[in-house]
Amino acid sequence: MIRFFPIINLRSLNVSCLLSILMSISMGLLAPELKGQVFTDEFEQASGRELLEKVHNTHEQFPYVYEEQSMILIDRLGQKETRNLKRYSRVEQDGQASFLLVFDSPEDVKGVAVLARRNKLGETTQFIYLPAFSRSLIRNAGGASHSSFLGTDFSVENLIGEELDNYILERQRDSIIGGVEYFVVDVRNNNRKLRRHYILKDILFIARTEFFDELDQIYKCQTQHDLTPVLGDMWRANMLLMQDFRENHQTLIKINKRVFSADYVPTKVFTAEWLYENTIQAVELEMQTEESS
Amino acid sequence: MMSSLFLIGVRYKSAVIAFVTLMTLITGAGLQYLVIDTGFDSLIPSDDPNRLVYQRVMGEFGSDNKTLVYIEDGDLWTPGKLAALDKLQSQLKKVDHVSRIDGLFDLRTISGEQTENGPSIRSELILDKLPETQFEADTAKNRALGNPLYIGNLFSVDGRVTAIIITLDDNIDVKEQDYNVKVYDDIESVLTSHRSEFQRLFQVGPPRINAELKSSLSEDFILLGPLSAFVLIASIVLFMRSGLAALVPIVTSVLTLIWTFGLMGWAGVPLNILSAMIPSLIIVIGSTEDTHMMSAFFRGMARGKENGENCQKAIVYMASHTGLPLILTVLTTALGFASNLFSSIGLIQDFAITSTFAIVANGIITILVVPVLLMQFGKGDIRDDSDEEDIYSNNLPARIIQVFRISQDKFPLYTLGFTALLCLFFTYQASHLYVTNDPMSYFPEDNPLIQETKLIQEKLAGVKVFFVSLESESEKAFLEPANLRKLEAIQAFMQKQGVFDRTLSIADHLRYVNREFQGQFAELRLPKTRQMVAQYLLFFHRSELESYVSHDYRRANIVVRHNVNDSNTLNRYIEELETVVQQIAGPNFKTMVIGENLMVNRAAESLMMSQIKALGLLLLLIFILMSIMFTSFKGGVIAMIPSLIPIILMFGVMGFLNIPLNPGTAMVAVIAVGIAIDGTIHLLARYNELCRSTSDYKGAVRAAVKEVATPLIISSLALSFGFGMLLFSNFTVVAQFGALAAATMLVSIFANLLITPIIMERVRLVGLYQIIAMNVDESVLDKSPLFNQMSRYQRRKAILISELREFEPGEKLVEQGTTGRSMYMILDGEADVIRHDKDRSRRLAGLKPGEIFGEIGYIRAIERTADVTAISSLSALRFDYERMQKDLKFFPNIVAQLNFNISAILGERLADVLDEKGG
Repeated sequence: MIRFFPIINLRSLNVSCLLSILMSISMGLLAPELKGQVFTDEFEQASGRELLEKVHNTHEQFPYVYEEQSMILIDRLGQKETRNLKRYSRVEQDGQASFLLVFDSPEDVKGVAVLARRNKLGETTQFIYLPAFSRSLIRNAGGASHSSFLGTDFSVENLIGEELDNYILERQRDSIIGGVEYFVVDVRNNNRKLRRHYILKDILFIARTEFFDELDQIYKCQTQHDLTPVLGDMWRANMLLMQDFRENHQTLIKINKRVFSADYVPTKVFTAEWLYENTIQAVELEMQTEESS
Repeated sequence: MMSSLFLIGVRYKSAVIAFVTLMTLITGAGLQYLVIDTGFDSLIPSDDPNRLVYQRVMGEFGSDNKTLVYIEDGDLWTPGKLAALDKLQSQLKKVDHVSRIDGLFDLRTISGEQTENGPSIRSELILDKLPETQFEADTAKNRALGNPLYIGNLFSVDGRVTAIIITLDDNIDVKEQDYNVKVYDDIESVLTSHRSEFQRLFQVGPPRINAELKSSLSEDFILLGPLSAFVLIASIVLFMRSGLAALVPIVTSVLTLIWTFGLMGWAGVPLNILSAMIPSLIIVIGSTEDTHMMSAFFRGMARGKENGENCQKAIVYMASHTGLPLILTVLTTALGFASNLFSSIGLIQDFAITSTFAIVANGIITILVVPVLLMQFGKGDIRDDSDEEDIYSNNLPARIIQVFRISQDKFPLYTLGFTALLCLFFTYQASHLYVTNDPMSYFPEDNPLIQETKLIQEKLAGVKVFFVSLESESEKAFLEPANLRKLEAIQAFMQKQGVFDRTLSIADHLRYVNREFQGQFAELRLPKTRQMVAQYLLFFHRSELESYVSHDYRRANIVVRHNVNDSNTLNRYIEELETVVQQIAGPNFKTMVIGENLMVNRAAESLMMSQIKALGLLLLLIFILMSIMFTSFKGGVIAMIPSLIPIILMFGVMGFLNIPLNPGTAMVAVIAVGIAIDGTIHLLARYNELCRSTSDYKGAVRAAVKEVATPLIISSLALSFGFGMLLFSNFTVVAQFGALAAATMLVSIFANLLITPIIMERVRLVGLYQIIAMNVDESVLDKSPLFNQMSRYQRRKAILISELREFEPGEKLVEQGTTGRSMYMILDGEADVIRHDKDRSRRLAGLKPGEIFGEIGYIRAIERTADVTAISSLSALRFDYERMQKDLKFFPNIVAQLNFNISAILGERLADVLDEKGG
């Protein structure tokens, strides 16, 4: 199992360790330059699926991710609403995955959580926890995982990643936008094109995804910004922007802190009990209600 | 002076033709820039303070400018129909300028249930994919009809009707000429291709309303002008039997219209539904003057034929008889139209500017062009029947006058009394008058748009929208359940009012989610805590809430749908609502009830006020003008009567028949007064003229009526027919305007020719003409023994009862041997007193200005003892004994002083005779 600790205590390191870290960092910095040509050549003839598998394998090397995020919702008038969240994700070796998003602020929604679990077959179940409602997980039974959630422009699928087996992946002609080269892959279901990924040729990173409606018109667009090398070929974006053109609304997610560590995302985090213990208790709120009434 | 003006066209024919041609070409070039404005913006007063608030609310909560596509089918929830609906919705999305579609396939519902594994919530689209089985379709139906937020808004209660809401691009310039028409046509072409698939399918929204207004406006523009012209030609040819008389108003009208609309194009003044009436108005109003002028011209030609004079003399005759009235009538008519400038409603202001210019331009064109036309074509129009009575082939006017004369002669007081009662009755009826300014009321009831709008209201809710907006100073105020309950209370009050179809607020959304979380059978109740509110709201995307609450939750908005078309009712309920909203909200909230249709309807109040102001000012101006003309306020008052009677009757009829005061009908009063006064001016001017040469004022009244009646009746009938043509308009407001104006014109015949003469016969009016024409040297009056010891007022009174007589040299003022009871005072010129005894004539005396003669005959009916012959051009005042006694019976002081002065004169004469005999 690969573990990686981006927050390193320098005092505990010896010289050889330090050198190896420095090597890693310089490799990371140089990676795009060195790898760019390699990827371009290597995937010139690759299928869409091969490309996306490579993308996933390259950038999803760490199965345990903890993030502290700021989520900024921007409406058509440019008015902003900011939420702070914690995101936990964990992918098991057998392919099962868990995903948890917990609201830290605003105060009124503190403790609200979205829990998603994906089984070995790729089926996702979602739960919602509303501390103000009750001390129970509410199953979010309806709604496709591609529906936007909790007032954002993202769907759960956008945040936990798509299950490639569920789609038809079609390689399209490469594209150059603003002097930058991209591989282009369309994600389809049986009837129509759903998304189009623009993959940076040099680092094999999805920098832009366009979402299409039934009329084959783009209605949403996700772009990734502030790309940072993590280790080797692995990169991460520190900022994600989803624009919904139909609603004239945007959601910007800024990663304030990211830790790739199993310690930060233990299994118990994805349980109801942990949520009840670690978020505002519904009982407390009920008491507050009684006092105020 | 008047003759000179009219003779410009005769003297400088080429220059006039060149000027008129040049003006026509320059203004005509502006026609291409003429734009049509059917937007509602022009119905809102420019000074309405709510405009900015409205724009802010619209900016924040989203526009109310949406088109609704209505789909009705008994089998709507079957896979086949839903597939057709999906196709329709997809095609609508492709229409240019459509930015958003909210329909069945985009709607999301939240539903909760309690399962064995605990609570479960489903937030999903009503239809994520097309149903393949009836079961799937039924499930979707249940899901849709289970959402209280959609019932009445997007689905009918029985599910047979659904609506697709189309939002158009905000960044499009809505004033762009063909924007609305294009969008409407594009949507309509999609609907047409699907119409056979559903029982009912249509669209209602600003593009359709604008497109229909525009097409109706164009139809009106094309239809009404020619129709009026045809009616005008027909009535003139019928009554005046002259092609020239029909040609003249057509030429002046066409030129006026080119000048007016061309200038509108250059000035950027848009054509609106009211200005579409202008062709008809100009044709009918312009023709009235032309009819009076042609009538005078024919009289002049008839006289000229007798005297061997030419066409130019007839034009001079026409100018001298109709010149001043023409100027006055152009002035009063222009004032009538200009009075509408008082309105703060852009639609009426634009109309006021255009129509006033058109009237003035028509006056100028008439003065310049008519003489040119008459010089060119008038020569051939000399009648064989030179008798003035026979100028008009049809004797309808004569018959009308005969009927009126029966009342005037036999029951004058009853006629006046009956008219007064009629006026009282209609004044009472006028108190029922109400105002409306709603654009939908422009269309007739049977218009498909109105019918379909009613259907939408019946099945869903009215298509008109306004907002009740509450604003708190504290942030996140509308996360507090207490404040949400205020929204709930306001909505409950509106439901109690019973006039609004549907209200929707953030409170409804929260009650709905709360119910679903509590379980499907729970009551619709607001969440209890602020946290619960905030957490439930996470289930909505901002775009789903933006119409109801601001992003910071300081402002909340209740969206209200209704279909109230009557401003009066709407304003009353809104006023009540405003008070209650403020009461419920409390002092910590700013409240407003705002919406474009509310501003339009509120403008109805300003419509009423502006019309009262306009009418008041116009009547005042007419009163002043007429008072100056007759040098007495009494003249002013009498001149107002023929204007007031039609107005009272018109408002009374409106109240009686429930016709509202709207942008069309509101103008009838001022325009009708402006036109009806024309006939009065002609009548009184002619009467004034006749009074200069007769002391038989009753006779003068009759003569004036007789002369003026024919052109007045013809022009009023032509006006009535012309206005009547507006009944063919596509717009109710225009048709109502036409019908009322036509009726007012007919009533003005009765007022001018029946009532006014009865009053005129009883009240002596002496006009400015007379005073000016007398040109009396004050020193002559001062020296005259007849006016000795009399004040200026007494002198004036006495003079006004006398007659002014003009004599040529050699003409006899008094003839020896005749009997007469008139006494004369020479104002200007000299005369000799000559006595004839058998074959011998003897000059007894020479008379100079200020001197009196005929005083013995005045005192006692005896034969004149000598001739009095003018030896130069002479003007003298003639005092008739009976007239003086009758007219001055209410002025005993004047009579006493006059009698005393006459006694003194007689005494002097006696003394002279005795001296002579003694000498």
